[in-house]
Amino acid sequence: MRILTFGWDYPPKRNGGLGVACYGLTRELLNEGVDVVYVLPRRQPVDGDGTFIFADDTPGQTVYEVPVTIEPYQPSYGQVYVTDVYGNKYPTGSTLLDEVQKFAAAAKDIAEREQFDLIHAHDWTSYLAGLAAKAVSGKPLIVHVHATSFDQAASDNVDPAMFAVEQQGFAGADVVVTVSEYTKHILITKHGVDPAKIEVIHNGADTYDPPQHQRTLTSYTDQGYKIVLYHGRITIQKGVDYFVRAAKRVLAVEPKTIFVISGWGDMQQQIIDLVGELGLSEHVIFAGALWEEERDRMYQSADLVVMPSVSEPFGLIPFEALQNGTPTLISKQSGVGEVMPHVLKADFWDIEEIANQIVAALRYPVLNQQLILEGRRTLHFLSWSFVAKKVKRLYERLVQYLT
Amino acid sequence: MLSICPYFHVHQPYRVKRYRVFDIGNDSEYFNDQGAGDLNNQWIIDKVAHKSYRPMIATLQHLLDEHPEFRFSLSFSGTVLDQFADYAPDVLEGFQKLVSSGRVEVLADTYHHSLAFFYSLPEFERQVDLHEQRVKSLFGYQPQVFRNTELSYRNDLAKWCDEHGYVGIMAEGWEPVLGWRSPNYVYKPVGTDNIKLLLKNYKLSDDIAFRFGNRAWESYPLSAETYAEWVHSHHGAGQTINLFMDFETFGEHQWEDTGIFGFMSSLPGILLQHPDFTFRTATETCAAHMPADEVDVPSVLTWADTDRDLTAWVGNDIQRDAIAATYRLEDDIMKLDDPAVTETWRKLQTSDHFYYMCTKWFNDGDVHAYFSPYQSPYDAYIAFMNALSDLQLRVQQALQQRAAVDLPVIQVGRVPWWRRLIDWAQALFTKFFNRYATFFQKNYQENR
Repeated sequence: MRILTFGWDYPPKRNGGLGVACYGLTRELLNEGVDVVYVLPRRQPVDGDGTFIFADDTPGQTVYEVPVTIEPYQPSYGQVYVTDVYGNKYPTGSTLLDEVQKFAAAAKDIAEREQFDLIHAHDWTSYLAGLAAKAVSGKPLIVHVHATSFDQAASDNVDPAMFAVEQQGFAGADVVVTVSEYTKHILITKHGVDPAKIEVIHNGADTYDPPQHQRTLTSYTDQGYKIVLYHGRITIQKGVDYFVRAAKRVLAVEPKTIFVISGWGDMQQQIIDLVGELGLSEHVIFAGALWEEERDRMYQSADLVVMPSVSEPFGLIPFEALQNGTPTLISKQSGVGEVMPHVLKADFWDIEEIANQIVAALRYPVLNQQLILEGRRTLHFLSWSFVAKKVKRLYERLVQYLT
Repeated sequence: MLSICPYFHVHQPYRVKRYRVFDIGNDSEYFNDQGAGDLNNQWIIDKVAHKSYRPMIATLQHLLDEHPEFRFSLSFSGTVLDQFADYAPDVLEGFQKLVSSGRVEVLADTYHHSLAFFYSLPEFERQVDLHEQRVKSLFGYQPQVFRNTELSYRNDLAKWCDEHGYVGIMAEGWEPVLGWRSPNYVYKPVGTDNIKLLLKNYKLSDDIAFRFGNRAWESYPLSAETYAEWVHSHHGAGQTINLFMDFETFGEHQWEDTGIFGFMSSLPGILLQHPDFTFRTATETCAAHMPADEVDVPSVLTWADTDRDLTAWVGNDIQRDAIAATYRLEDDIMKLDDPAVTETWRKLQTSDHFYYMCTKWFNDGDVHAYFSPYQSPYDAYIAFMNALSDLQLRVQQALQQRAAVDLPVIQVGRVPWWRRLIDWAQALFTKFFNRYATFFQKNYQENR
């Protein structure tokens, strides 16, 4: 079985959860004997010691190179930048929507040349590519929803162009895969998608044990400070502002607490201003975007990780944190809670309750012990290989049904 | 003659509200949730009284009036009796009327539905005493047969009951413990002299308590006739069929629309059609039969889930932490000896709090198997520990204040008289200062 897969983001490019999820799924599909042709918008420079999914010697996998580069997490009308090897960004003069259309045009050519049984398009930026491939080949199309315009807007005030692409994608797809019941609900209520067409396949977790690193921020922890970590993009979707407001409340009863914000995003200045306004500068540290070893080190040093997303289709943060031996507090508006019960949960807007649970995690060490112990046990049942098996079954069903 | 010994357990805990960390030191009420949900204790009593207590009391009353041979036993936790008195006095009167028939026995229990026996024997004894007094004053009745929280049982508990004059004790009739023996006989607990052991026939009990309304069950829908046949089939091979279950089975666990009340109101009549069957209370059952054998239960046996042990209450780290922290307070609570504080502490000992923290079934994602007013075991733990922290704080403060207030004993001897005078004056000052401070604090808070 040969699958033509369209994706926008792939490691070692550092964008966020989408690439991580596509990587985990593709790797395990290859192990399952599924022949994956992964089409990315552009060849990326590969890190010296990364996982060489881009390398041409990976068996069964062909990586196509299309001459565009994009960061997926931005509005469709946003200016697209090219990043060179020195990390400098240059504007291209085209918008993300232009790039998406360019990708779709390229997809048409690729689909004409390639032999395959099925098309799988990840995230909204690939939906048009998937549709184009379907138009020329007549093969069944799966669109895989990793996020919706409603999540990105954190409200009903969505990007109209992105919404239009979504509607086209959902209408043209044979099956729509969502990463949670939570997202399925959004598709049914907001996009009006037929529930029978939607299949929920939760994301998985990498079953790896990161090495133990030297702890960081020891100048604080030596003095008895506890570390609470936010890790992720600093955008309205992720609810960082609620994290900062909860921090204020926590400090009223647990003054020996340091709040670390690790990440980047368009809301950064706003959050810095908020920290100043609330007088929390001494207790909030901006760590910048952390990746790999540095990220793991930060996870390992923290006592609790908070993911207060306003709307989170899945959210891989609790898995990463658990692998590093740290429990997580998530918002109830997060899909990951459907498969990982060993987390603390609060509504993203309930600052009082978020603060209450943060303090509980800091005060009652047994709570953390239990969350980690049982959470890690649960993690074993959520590996990407289980996810890949589900996806493979879906592939088989579709190919059988339509041929 | 084979007798049937039905026993219904009545219990509701005082559920802890969503007590937040910010309430510690500011709010000493833990059980007064006012929302329209499962944490509002009054709301629950109202709901369950309507669905279960009132209709089931009426059914039982009717059965007593109709069949002079009908008998059964009841046990009440003190916490449910207190809540009836406060929120549903008519339910309490209904139960009193049932007991006044002389054919309904009330069993001994711990007042606070606690696991105290396994954590503190003195506290256990105090709670059994409290319970006995309460039952005496409400029902004019001296309990003779003991049942412990969640039917938990162990050899040493039987021995304790034997030494304290009980004629019987109840436990689960669980095969791994019984071996080839049938639960349908009366036994003697190992190492005891007079007490008898009554074992629950869990198959026949659970047919009603758990399976009755289950549409996937092969015997659904269960008629009273079929059930009576099952019971009658034991004729000639046993002394007693012990049917132990929650009172709330009727109407709350099995809803009215399953036909549970109709089933129950016709069952005794059909059972009694067999000339060799009758009903007995627990005490009567103990008196009627000689023990068939000795039963040895060295580790805790309960009536809970498939493990029949205490793991649903103290199976994980947070449960063990919470219960240990609760009993660690015992010395200070006893030293303080403030009735209101002691009562609050005891309400926190109720086993349900620890059950809500159970994560045994949580991994399957089968949230429905999880019977709790909290959204997760972790929410339950946080609310409980916050409340317990507040109690701890209050106890510490009260003990410190008392230490400060106690006048030092004036020493006779080398200390000169003026020194003694200064000490005395200083102590007096502290005493009044503290009193004034408390007064001021109270006023200040009220004004705020």
